[in-house]
Amino acid sequence: MADHNDPNAVNHIFSDIDYSPADLYDLFGWPTAEGKNVVFALTFASAPSAGVLDVDLLYRLLLTSHPRVAWPDAKEISVESVLGYFEAVKEKYLGELKTAEIRVTVQTASSVLIKFLGFSCGNFSTEVDVNKAVSISTPDGQTIQAFVGGRDDAFFNDLTGFFRSINYAPQFYHVPHTMTEARELPIPKTLLELDGNDLFNYRPDMPEWGFTQPDGTTPKLDLPPGPWTWSGDRFKKDADGNFRFVYDGRDCRAGQNCNAIVLELPHSFITPATGENRLVNAWGESWVRKAAHKVESIPDDPSWVSHPWSVFREKGLDDELRKYKLVDTDGQPFADAALSEREDDRQLGANNFWLGPHFITRLAHLGWGFGPSISALGLKTSFDHNNSPVSVYKTYDSVFTAFPRVARTLFQGLNMPDDSWNPKGLNIPLRRPFEIFIPNVCAVDMDTTGTWPFGRRLEDQVATRFLAMFLDMTAELNGKKYHIDLLGDQALWDSAPIIPKTPPNPLKNDKEFLDQFPYLAEPWPEKW
Amino acid sequence: MNVMASQIALPPPRLAGYSEELARAEADIAKLESQLQRHPRDLELQVRLAYRLFHCASLAGTMDQFHAVEAAILEAIADFGPKEDLCLLKANLDFRFHRLAEVRRDLEMSPLLAGRFEGRVLLADLDFQEGRYEAARLGLEALIKEDPTWDNLARLAHWMSKLGDAADADKLYQEAEDDLTAKQMRSYAWLELQRGVLALHHGNYEDAWLHYRRADEAYPGHWHTDEHIAELLAAEGRFDEAESLFKRVIARAPKPELQQALGELYIFTGRIGEAQPWLDRALAAYVDSVRHGGVHYFHHLADFYADARVQPTEAVKWARKDVDLRSNFSTQAAMAWALYRNGELTGAMEFIRLALSSGVRDAGIFSTAAAVFEATGKSAEGRSYAEAALQINPRHGNFHMHH
Repeated sequence: MADHNDPNAVNHIFSDIDYSPADLYDLFGWPTAEGKNVVFALTFASAPSAGVLDVDLLYRLLLTSHPRVAWPDAKEISVESVLGYFEAVKEKYLGELKTAEIRVTVQTASSVLIKFLGFSCGNFSTEVDVNKAVSISTPDGQTIQAFVGGRDDAFFNDLTGFFRSINYAPQFYHVPHTMTEARELPIPKTLLELDGNDLFNYRPDMPEWGFTQPDGTTPKLDLPPGPWTWSGDRFKKDADGNFRFVYDGRDCRAGQNCNAIVLELPHSFITPATGENRLVNAWGESWVRKAAHKVESIPDDPSWVSHPWSVFREKGLDDELRKYKLVDTDGQPFADAALSEREDDRQLGANNFWLGPHFITRLAHLGWGFGPSISALGLKTSFDHNNSPVSVYKTYDSVFTAFPRVARTLFQGLNMPDDSWNPKGLNIPLRRPFEIFIPNVCAVDMDTTGTWPFGRRLEDQVATRFLAMFLDMTAELNGKKYHIDLLGDQALWDSAPIIPKTPPNPLKNDKEFLDQFPYLAEPWPEKW
Repeated sequence: MNVMASQIALPPPRLAGYSEELARAEADIAKLESQLQRHPRDLELQVRLAYRLFHCASLAGTMDQFHAVEAAILEAIADFGPKEDLCLLKANLDFRFHRLAEVRRDLEMSPLLAGRFEGRVLLADLDFQEGRYEAARLGLEALIKEDPTWDNLARLAHWMSKLGDAADADKLYQEAEDDLTAKQMRSYAWLELQRGVLALHHGNYEDAWLHYRRADEAYPGHWHTDEHIAELLAAEGRFDEAESLFKRVIARAPKPELQQALGELYIFTGRIGEAQPWLDRALAAYVDSVRHGGVHYFHHLADFYADARVQPTEAVKWARKDVDLRSNFSTQAAMAWALYRNGELTGAMEFIRLALSSGVRDAGIFSTAAAVFEATGKSAEGRSYAEAALQINPRHGNFHMHH
């Protein structure tokens, strides 16, 4: 669940929505060949099945390469500076920045057309069979590796634990699609179970509650009538004084597949100025063919009068794209599921600058849930929760009210566990949350290993690293600064007063990744 | 390589259509029933099954299947209580069969449902059916402002087609089509049929053909499209082709309104004897439905006795039941026509004035108005409505079905 099950239009958690190949899962990106090449892997729901593509889909990978430059005011911690940053991003993405594009259209269930558009060597395209790694020669004599087809889903995550932490009811209860208020129930989000939280606490009589089973069903309960409240004042503890973790660390994506577009591109194919443009930003999009264009003879001009955002988008579209409808975008893990609440009209890819203020208020809302949980475990948090002894349910309408609480979380550099991410030892600043999520792109730093947040490698446990944003990166544990993998350290949990003693998410994928292209593991036999 | 390979033209394959969707829906139902054997208390599976049964019944169009849907919904409500999605499904089912009071009760069964987006859609539908046109329009416009879903655009288009401008209606249908993806070809075809009906009702058979053909191309094999094509063939005077197609459609979807249409086609072409078996079948189904508490054939019974098998007192009886159930320009005009046929001209005048006061612009209703005004000595008004009817549809006198 980096971006699984979003937006809501393709969220099959709801009983009336099926799996959709438009549901983008993840975008991975990292440098290879000592920084000369970059790999991007866009994964999505394997419908109709792994290795078989839907002919009505079009996928885009948008790319831009630019220098690693610090934003003005980057050190000033204020709401004005962060809003100024969002504005600058907007100017950049709507203005000078040119994006190139790799577009994949499905010709038949077993062949795709890959178009390379807007690259300096000129436009070209090639048709390839699915499920085969192929080499594509570019007009300027370079070689691109490409694979489109079925793979093991490279994401490994305790999906159910995450949903429990944010009180996401449709994973645990039968929630009709109409009941929009019953998605995230209005009680404190938390990493530790709340004393007396009958809505989401673990039930020994129903150990598989909320976990999807091999036959595709998910044991759920009947949603109790509201109001859905929690009136307790402490975290739950057992007779031995242990908290109960909302996660159990299992891999909810184990044994499951995706379809994937994997490309290994020379950096010099993306930009001629590789020495200067050390960042490669990318985001993915899924589009579904419009009904009118499924039938070849339809000549009507579509009317856009009542869709202002569509009008905005349409301006930049070519004839082919106008025949499709944008459904999903993917750049950063958790940008959608955790921060944009899966809203259909927030599928904007890099152009999510207008969601910046929402990002701050949402992060503050999450902080009131996760910050006290972290403190209760004896760790330091970056979120200012006023020493609250327990998680609090609080929402914000104003970015100005939310900002002081979340300022440090937003602006702190995320420490890396060691120096291996920066093999050249260059002066590369640590990345900060506000830069990571706005714009919503996978930003690969070609001088690093591309581990998150300097890209995203297959083996990165990004769900646990996402939680690390709420750790105080100035604090130390056992003489070492907190870092983004701290919550994945088994030793931490072994010594913590908590059960189960596990990192929140699995530490590795259920299948070994490959050490050569296409890197993602072979798919599993299809189950359903 | 180095060419835009998309320019290579591939012959367009036949699209998956009715039979494929029906097979898929039936397979889904079988899978859900199997899962329910293992998890009999799984509410979500029950709900999913009820929705799939409704889907399947809507495709097939047979009453037996709709009865099965109703039974499944009532069973699930009995087992799990009035869950919102079950109540919403029941409300949609009741609306389809003109059980408007039941629709209100369904919406009230689950306290917040009437305030939901989907509940408000049904309330706007109720407003239209019960003659509160302005409330219906405002309701739909508010819903579209919140979320311009294709179905609400189509609802507003229908409103426009009756009470506004036909060109605006067509634009709204087009806008609705633009919201649909290739995963929604049945809905796309349905919108094309609505555009075709709009053209047909304005005497523009060429455009009607265009839209009906597109509907068939987009979603091949649906009897509902063939039903429209049969009507268009008959309107064009291609009676043999229409007859043959009506028979084929009836063989697949033995709906009484189609049997009545075929009977009326025979009457229209002077083959009175051949009409009778079809009218008998239609009538038997209508009566059977009423005997089991059904109300959605009142309108057809009124038409049946007013025109197909003329028994004006019966026509008045059923038209009155329908207008009591849902007083709108359509039922009011049917009542006026039944009263006119029964020689009750004062009453006919009252009801046609009521229908016209809605602002409706419909060749059929104007034609009824012309007859009523003429019969009551108001010849000038009668001529005026006759001209207006011809202005809207110069071919109004051609064969048309009672929808």
